[in-house]
Amino acid sequence: MIPAWLSSAILLAPLAAAVLTLLVPRSRPALAHGLAAGVMAGCTALAVWLATLIVPGGVAYQGPHLPWLDLGGLVLGVGTFVDPMGAIMAVIVGLLATLVLIYNAWYMHDDELAGRFPWQFSLFVFAMLTVVLADNLFMSFVGWELVGLGSYLLIGFWFAKPAVKDDAFYQQMKGAGARGILEDRLSPAHAQLKAFVMNRVGDAGFLIGIGALLAAGVASGVREPLTWSNLALIAQGGALPGTFLGLSGSELLTLACLGIFCGAVGKSAQFPLHTWLPDAMQGPTTASSIIHAATMVAAGVFLVARCYPLFTPDALAVVGWIGGITCLLAASIACVQWDLKAVLAYSTVSQLGLMFVALGAGAAAGGQAAGIGHLFTHALFKCLLFLCAGSVIHACAGHQDLHRMGGLMRRMPITAACAGVAVLAIIGAPFFSGFWSKDAVLAAALLHGQTAGGAAWGPFLLACAGSLLTAGYMLRWWIRIFAGHERDHAVCHHAHDPAWYASAVLIVLAPFTVMFVWSPWLGHALGAPHSEAHAHAHHSAMLVASGLLLVGGGFAVLAFWWKDAIAAAAARALRPLHNACGELWGIDRLWDVLFTRGLGAGLARVSAVLDLGTRDRLASLEGAAPSKLSDALSLDGLIDGIGRTCRQIGLSSAAWHDGRLGAYIGLAAVIGAAILLLGVLL
Amino acid sequence: MIGALTWSVVAPLACGALCLLPGRAARWFALFGALVPLAVGLAALGDFARHPGADFRLVESYPWAASVGAGWTVGVDGIGAAMLALSGLVAAIATISAWNETRNPRVYHALVMLLLAAMNGVFVTLDLLVFYVCWEVMLVPMLALIGVWGGEQRRYAALKFFVYTLAGSVLMLAMLIMLWNRTPAGGRTVAVQAIEIQAHSHDGGATLHGLPVERFSDGSVSVTVPRGFDLRHLQLQWRTWEGERVLGMSLAAFGFLAVLLAALVKVPAVPLHTWLPHAHVQAPTAISVLLAGILLKLGVYALYRLAWPLFPAQALHWGWLIGVIGVIGILWGAWVALGQRDLKRLVAYSSVSHMGFCLLGLAGLTAAGATGGMVQAVTHGLGSSLLFLLVGVIYDRAHHRNVDGFGGLATPMPRYAWILLIAALAGAGLPGLAGFVGEAMALFGSFTAGGPFPWLGALAALSVILSAAYMLWTVKRVAYGPLAHPEHAAYTDLDARELAATVPLVVLIIVVGVWPAPLVDALRPACENLVAHVRSALP
Repeated sequence: MIPAWLSSAILLAPLAAAVLTLLVPRSRPALAHGLAAGVMAGCTALAVWLATLIVPGGVAYQGPHLPWLDLGGLVLGVGTFVDPMGAIMAVIVGLLATLVLIYNAWYMHDDELAGRFPWQFSLFVFAMLTVVLADNLFMSFVGWELVGLGSYLLIGFWFAKPAVKDDAFYQQMKGAGARGILEDRLSPAHAQLKAFVMNRVGDAGFLIGIGALLAAGVASGVREPLTWSNLALIAQGGALPGTFLGLSGSELLTLACLGIFCGAVGKSAQFPLHTWLPDAMQGPTTASSIIHAATMVAAGVFLVARCYPLFTPDALAVVGWIGGITCLLAASIACVQWDLKAVLAYSTVSQLGLMFVALGAGAAAGGQAAGIGHLFTHALFKCLLFLCAGSVIHACAGHQDLHRMGGLMRRMPITAACAGVAVLAIIGAPFFSGFWSKDAVLAAALLHGQTAGGAAWGPFLLACAGSLLTAGYMLRWWIRIFAGHERDHAVCHHAHDPAWYASAVLIVLAPFTVMFVWSPWLGHALGAPHSEAHAHAHHSAMLVASGLLLVGGGFAVLAFWWKDAIAAAAARALRPLHNACGELWGIDRLWDVLFTRGLGAGLARVSAVLDLGTRDRLASLEGAAPSKLSDALSLDGLIDGIGRTCRQIGLSSAAWHDGRLGAYIGLAAVIGAAILLLGVLL
Repeated sequence: MIGALTWSVVAPLACGALCLLPGRAARWFALFGALVPLAVGLAALGDFARHPGADFRLVESYPWAASVGAGWTVGVDGIGAAMLALSGLVAAIATISAWNETRNPRVYHALVMLLLAAMNGVFVTLDLLVFYVCWEVMLVPMLALIGVWGGEQRRYAALKFFVYTLAGSVLMLAMLIMLWNRTPAGGRTVAVQAIEIQAHSHDGGATLHGLPVERFSDGSVSVTVPRGFDLRHLQLQWRTWEGERVLGMSLAAFGFLAVLLAALVKVPAVPLHTWLPHAHVQAPTAISVLLAGILLKLGVYALYRLAWPLFPAQALHWGWLIGVIGVIGILWGAWVALGQRDLKRLVAYSSVSHMGFCLLGLAGLTAAGATGGMVQAVTHGLGSSLLFLLVGVIYDRAHHRNVDGFGGLATPMPRYAWILLIAALAGAGLPGLAGFVGEAMALFGSFTAGGPFPWLGALAALSVILSAAYMLWTVKRVAYGPLAHPEHAAYTDLDARELAATVPLVVLIIVVGVWPAPLVDALRPACENLVAHVRSALP
């Protein structure tokens, strides 16, 4: 028996933490961190309890449900819904939130803004749990937007920090000619804005998807169409009732799914909206560790999995292809990054692509279980990777340049070991969690390719290529930081492991990267299908994945540990490719030129002049004299023109009434002639 | 003993007169004059939230010009109550923000009170003639407030505002005369639908809006409507207006056009909006707050109170056009706001964008949309007032409004930066803040309406990108990043007066955003009734 208050308590605990820590004086950051971590730990304990009640039975649980707004025949509600997937996700979110808060107490121990972190972080976690535990799509959307707010606050945590002009990432990009278009590119203030607006691009699609489902709900006469159970009813048989935007039936359902996926593309940083995530590392590394793991980017994958019963084959094909393209694209960029957080950021984008490849394979091929399984394993090892990166950055006095590191294994053994197991997990080495979950992803994609044939092979091949590169660049990352000799003594000589409680966080997280702790059980809990074909696909995928791992990992060990010359030679041989990756395949530049500078700053400014002209513009700003022509041709100028014309007509007709006899006679003659002329013509 | 709604007009007038007394008490009188309508409006709104209904409450009627059938007849439904509360609130906040006005403060506060009385008159009256008189009286104090207390180009802006709105409403006078003229001196007997009696009769169907109901043996029901200006009586004759001809069109079409023109100038709808940026830029902060917080809502209110109820067949016929105008306003306003560098002008264009949702919501003729349009009017009143106050705060310190002339103000003014962020996020429609509720309802209403409205809703949904961009870009340029000008480090954070003006708005924005049900429940029956009334005109 599940207590009715349990799911609501899990949802509201982080909100309570946010409110409580908001009331703690800013001068007591340790107290705020402790308070928030304590509440989060309680929340995690409750989530574990709920999971033990739900996961073994495998049945979904509908918690209390309240109406939030009655729109007149259309009701929007709030309530909780927990199934095994949601229960495990809630545990992971709570666990990582607790650990990151503890770690952050060390990470920000000398930061004067530290007192702000716990409440913003708790709000962020509350938003994510809203997405996870929502029992309807509208509530998911609300949580979704609040996740956007949380990430906005955390990315811009150091809001007053200037742009980092001597940042390795920035310099490299500037050298390659791709970045540096806007001087404040890499300030937290810019990154937070970019993240929010890019997410809103996806959200516009999400809203249209909700619109399609609402229209279908009204057509089928359901009072509250957006709850998961009612959505499943409305979308029965792979089609929606009613019409919306000229579409109906299964096409309408595809539109709805693509709308939802559009939101996920923004939130989960998929091609072509992925560019905000690498910039988002301007936030504190601890914030990155949760954004890249359990919240924010996870929300997109989770929502697609939550709405999985709705997804039509056409929509799934798009999901798979976008995932595959993102997986390879981001992996290729990660290969040439020199900023230690940038490598991790692009690896997140790539791994999220892998999850969408799995989801695109369809439920029959085991795609849902595989995608969600990889989301869970990835959340744990990616959080660990970012926390290790935080330790390294802290140890190297803020330096993030891989050129200047190396040999840190001896100075910070705990960090090196924990990062090591996390790297082994992300590259999918045997006996690590990533091995199991990546195998499931590739098996699902492979099986889908085998059944559907033709273009359905695309996502599988892209995912394989991405996995090959992942093995290479992640080992390169670890080797560059921890192995070999010290490249820059000035940077490295103070390095040491973090304080005991922060080290303990790393040590607690490390076992979760090992397969036997939880992986086989996870597949069962998520309801992965079993059959001859699945088993066969798993074996094939395991062979392929091992081969890719050997090739990619072997190259990395050779080129970055044994002989640096090999890496340089490879870069020379593949120069065009290398440059393209270095320039981020031109996508960031395209967005900048097209949207930030073109539409945003340029065309909007032109529109402003078209609307109101240049009158009374700010003298301090414009310098140039107002332009008469654009004033006259602007909308406002034209309307003023009407007024001016009326005035002119009034003034000139006044001249005809000034009592001059000649004028009256002349006017009468002209009018008479006109009437005569008209009469003759007609 | 006169009733509460009459007090909501009389109190500002009386306080306005008291403001002119010598001494420094004018601002206290003005504050009191604003708090009376706020209290009346809130009480009425609370009544509608607890006991939802589409009827008019607090009705009082006094003879005035009985020979033409006009009288001081007042009453509010949920819409009127919400508008009255908003107007009292915004006026009180505007008074607080102009607390230290030094240029002839007594006349200034008296004019604000006159403006408030006229606006409240529009919101509470049920008489078309009084409606028109109050509508035009508003222009005079506004002209003076912008033209005397405004910025450098105040005379141009004030004249533009005056000519624009006067030209917009002049046809309304013609409509008013024609409606009266086409009613026979002895009144007109019109058939009435059973649902109208159900909704509005308080005595079990014996009378409707004070008129005796006649029942016939064939089941039909009729009332005899006297010649006059009572809106409820005029509404009963809507079929007659369709039949009467004037200027080559039906009287209903002419009347609809007349109200539409007056309303769209006030809203303002693109392309009739260009008076707004001039007026806002030139007006002092408190007047901008009144302009954005209440005056624009009068346009929406005229559509809800006059155009849709009096001419339902026309509303049905031309609804798509209003929807298109709304969407053009939403997108063009947001787009142009993105290109603005003057902060006041930026907020002015964001108003153009947000008010478009009111038009879109109403035009789609769904309960969700029509209610959403009205919710949007209320929440925009809260949000844009706050934004103008915040622009005023930094204008008082820096004496300019150039968005690029700031940067990093969050360091010296942290409270200011947080409130600015909340206001911007409300403007960007973040769930949990007031701005989201109206926008979402208007969008959801459009999605579920028929005809072209799903397309219009889908286009309007794109504005979530633009609103996030211009709002948060502004926050970034003003508040975040390193301090752009060292002299700004000496700026003081919000003082007590500024907090008193902004914090109530922040609290309301959050409360309405988190728990909008009371407001929506109060507004919905009247809006549902309106939608049903217009739909009953379907052939």
